[in-house]
Amino acid sequence: METVAEIETRMQHARHSFDDLKAEMARIIVGHEALIEQVFIALVCGGHCLLEGVPGLGKTLMVRSLGEILNLSFSRIQFTPDLMPADITGTNVLTDDPSGRKIFEFQRGPVFAHIVLADEINRATPKTQSALLEAMQEQSVTVGGKMHRLENPFMVLATQNPIEMEGTYPLPEAQVDRFFFKLLLQYPTRDELARIADFTTAGAPVALHEVLDATDILQMRQWVRDVPLADIVKDYAVRLVLSTHPQREPGREAAPLAQKFVLYGSSPRGLQSVILAAKARALLAGRPNVSFEDIRQMLLPSLRHRLILNLEADAEGIGAEKILSEVVERVPEVP
Amino acid sequence: MEAETLRKKLAELLSWERRKRREQILTTVFCYALLAALLVLPFHGLLDTVISRWFIPILFFGVMAPFFFARGHWRLADSARALARVDKTLELDERTLTAWELLERNESRAAALMVLKQAGEKLANLDPKALFRRNWSWQAYCALSLLLLWLGLLWFDVGLRFDGGVQFSPPQTVAQRLREFSRALQDKAKNEGLDESLRVGRELEQVAQKSIDDKTGDEKFKADLAGMQNKIATMGKSAAEQQPLSASESQQDLWDLKAELEAARDLFNNGDATKGAQELGRQWLDQLATLPQIKKQFEREGQSGQSLSQSDLKSFLDKLDKQATRELDRRTLLDAQQFLEQLMKQGQGEKGESDVKVAGQGERDSPDDGERTNNRSNLPGKEPGKREAESASLPEFQAGATAHVKGLLGEGNSSGVVLKAKPSAGKSEVSQDDVIASYRRQAEAELNTERVPEALKETIKNYFLSLGIGKEQN
Repeated sequence: METVAEIETRMQHARHSFDDLKAEMARIIVGHEALIEQVFIALVCGGHCLLEGVPGLGKTLMVRSLGEILNLSFSRIQFTPDLMPADITGTNVLTDDPSGRKIFEFQRGPVFAHIVLADEINRATPKTQSALLEAMQEQSVTVGGKMHRLENPFMVLATQNPIEMEGTYPLPEAQVDRFFFKLLLQYPTRDELARIADFTTAGAPVALHEVLDATDILQMRQWVRDVPLADIVKDYAVRLVLSTHPQREPGREAAPLAQKFVLYGSSPRGLQSVILAAKARALLAGRPNVSFEDIRQMLLPSLRHRLILNLEADAEGIGAEKILSEVVERVPEVP
Repeated sequence: MEAETLRKKLAELLSWERRKRREQILTTVFCYALLAALLVLPFHGLLDTVISRWFIPILFFGVMAPFFFARGHWRLADSARALARVDKTLELDERTLTAWELLERNESRAAALMVLKQAGEKLANLDPKALFRRNWSWQAYCALSLLLLWLGLLWFDVGLRFDGGVQFSPPQTVAQRLREFSRALQDKAKNEGLDESLRVGRELEQVAQKSIDDKTGDEKFKADLAGMQNKIATMGKSAAEQQPLSASESQQDLWDLKAELEAARDLFNNGDATKGAQELGRQWLDQLATLPQIKKQFEREGQSGQSLSQSDLKSFLDKLDKQATRELDRRTLLDAQQFLEQLMKQGQGEKGESDVKVAGQGERDSPDDGERTNNRSNLPGKEPGKREAESASLPEFQAGATAHVKGLLGEGNSSGVVLKAKPSAGKSEVSQDDVIASYRRQAEAELNTERVPEALKETIKNYFLSLGIGKEQN
């Protein structure tokens, strides 16, 4: 049985760890503070992230640095149309055993790492994509009838290029739904760009220090689930999610934009994502409980990829962000 | 801070919020009750007693309050809202709200206790009354204004009444009507300096008040009324006997005479002392000659053209004043007598309540008044004071055929009425003087309206004057 003092200690530990992580990341990554926070939240929640941004914004560097700081293994898979599932999961290869007999030995693929960067995931065929997504969901791969457990913690950060869609295989909605967060990488500001130039063209490469390890991350995952959540706050999250549904049902009043432009609203997995992420945010902020603000902050990364918009939205250039902003504006904290 | 202390703190906070809600509901209901009371002010006449009007807002309050309290009763969401407000105000990131829920669920996990601990620390010095002060809504301000307005209207007895074609006011009791009449009579008597009428008014009020206070039986009250009626009749007769002023003088003439006497008195008081008595007397006579009613009295007394000394003139004018006052007094008593007659009849279950005229209203009721149109006793050919019983037996009027006639005033179409009834002889109980005086007053009232053509007014006036003169000659 834990005591209040222990809880206080772990809260402080979580907050300090996160502060250290941010400070360490800031040594090599310019800007993207919110993005780093959200990636870390996804990690402590056991989720995966879909990163969307133009090339050259530092996605790979960020993920690699995160692995280093957390002392976690990192692998990168460049997705191409000819990439096969076995290239990701690994395969059985024929080798000689010490007695000279021929045997099949499982050669682990790049998915066997704590942090996997799936670069341009939409360039691989759906078959290959689904192999990765299955690994994400089950946290294991089955090759030759034998199941192999993946690393724990395990996190996939898949990237997509939003502007180069030719020759790509967009992820099916069901697959997208399996990502905990969808994060957008914004182009750096003027100051940030200048600092990036300084960082990368002068001086010696920065050596990063380990701040946390896999055990800490797994421990935090437990702590996140312990964070108390008031029913009123939970109800707020539920109402927000329900407001993304265009269906008219008693007690379910969708926001006007959702009514007009959304084909399908968020799945229950979206609600889980919002609440868990809000709990993680509270923990990393050193707070013992979830606030309305936590829910609001985690709504956009959790739900933006879970809304299926109609053609009208495409035609009018309405994105999920705009719809979710309206939802947040319209839904009161306490009904 | 322990869980129990936090619980108490939260209970205190919620109790304060509930109290504010209750106050808000009370002010709202009070405001609407007053508004409703003001709206039904014209219907106050439906109530039996005057005092019950004061209870109307209380009645509305009683009716509305349960509805408002049911609608605005404190719910769980209200508690949550109040606590969320605390969190917002103190920037507690929903610690209070979560702590409140955890307390409700009796959570004992260490993580929950951590929330309680932090919430307790933050709320230790919370003073709900200081942090969330009362905010008076517009209803509160409105209620105050409405209360003052309502009290003002009741105090000054201002009220709209439906006195038109439809009679919304319930019939007052006979005693109440008598009291109302007596008060109006006293007012009139005081204003015009009518001593006898004032005395009668007071006595009538005493009789009425006694009946209201003691709730005396109908018979006793009727006996009192009959006594008063006889007394007034006796006073009226004695006054008529002493009255040298012609009964044919119209009410207006008498009032004009009084006004002229007043003016004459001012004339005497402001006279030029440097002139000789003879010259002054002549000057006054000249000026008095310009006042038509005084001049008429001079002529009637046969003193026109004579030169009078200052003292003679003054004594003559004083005499005239007394006579005019006495005549007005007599007529007012006559009105009172008629009113009592009507009242006695009503007491016997007869109809005709609306025919009764209050002395304060005098004979200057508007011609389009509903009462007037139903009042057949005001019509020529009908004895004043005698109403429905007799009028019920009157034959119906029938419009006659239109005829083209030529008269003194010109030619035109004439319409007439045909009375199909046999005249029957009867003994009149009312003196001719009274009948003529009453008809004259009615005629004067009609003359003041636009219904009588301008060209005929003089003719009608002369006719009624001639009736009086004829009687005097007889």
